Amino acid sequence: MALPVLICDDSLLARKQVRKSLPESFDADILTAGNGVEALAILRSQEIGLVFLDLTMPELDGIGVLEAIKQEGLDCFVIVISADIQPEMQKRVTELGALAFVHKPVNPEKLVVILKQYGLI
Amino acid sequence: MSTVFSEEQRDCLQELINVAMGLASDKLARFLNTFVHLQVPAIELVSSAQIPAQFEARYSNTEAALVSQGFLGNDGLRGEAIVLYQLDNAHRIAALLGYDTDSASELEMLTDISSILTTTFLNGLADQIDNALSYSAPRVLSSRQTNVSQALQETAFHWELALKVDISYQLIDHSFNCDMLLLIPGEAVSNIQHILDRILEEY
Repeated sequence: MALPVLICDDSLLARKQVRKSLPESFDADILTAGNGVEALAILRSQEIGLVFLDLTMPELDGIGVLEAIKQEGLDCFVIVISADIQPEMQKRVTELGALAFVHKPVNPEKLVVILKQYGLI
Repeated sequence: MSTVFSEEQRDCLQELINVAMGLASDKLARFLNTFVHLQVPAIELVSSAQIPAQFEARYSNTEAALVSQGFLGNDGLRGEAIVLYQLDNAHRIAALLGYDTDSASELEMLTDISSILTTTFLNGLADQIDNALSYSAPRVLSSRQTNVSQALQETAFHWELALKVDISYQLIDHSFNCDMLLLIPGEAVSNIQHILDRILEEY
């Protein structure tokens, strides 16, 4: 069965880059969101297995989304895909429960390694 | 800028710049040994003739410094990157970094920071568009003695266009604002559009 996946980024290019980085063997139903508020609305209304989450976004940033996911006990895996690559930021998102921290622009090979590591493909 | 670039091109350029700025922030954070709060830089393409007036107001009541660095890449990619600083917060950063607080040491620090920001940012941009850049040594165009608008005018005069990148860094205990200007030749617009379209076609 296809895994419901949410790609959340304010940039259309970045959303396309993530979508194109996913391996063909990855059976996913992909939804997109342009900011954190949109992402949370989707996460609260339907089952999402995996979220690709940008950090720097208008309305509500990725940190805000991670905090809400944790606080509300929303059940999904989160892979952060970020232009902000400071080690401090990686530590922060890991503490908030993100599975992985991937640098932008996203590298398809690295993404495959992470998806395999967590049994998603 | 909306008149020059399509919405898709603008989104693409903004994302390339965000990624490049993320790399520059990380380098700056390591240099300053602190965490840098990264904001999305506002970008705007303007005629270089408009530049001095745009910055006159912001920098008129404050001591300011300008540092310039030329860049040159493949396929005719070239320009001059200018970083503008307000000196009042530079004093605190200089002390934080252990530079002497005399004006010569402060300018040395600003030259170091400019070089980190400019080269990391532009290398990050060049990587994403499969280009490679070389740089001239950074030089201080004006310090507290000189009029910012005049110094800008003299430099901007050589170029037709400027890509303004407003950078605002918030360090944990200190605010640190600067503006980056990429002065580029007039024909660069069609080059940039071509590069953006090529990237957009890939996705």
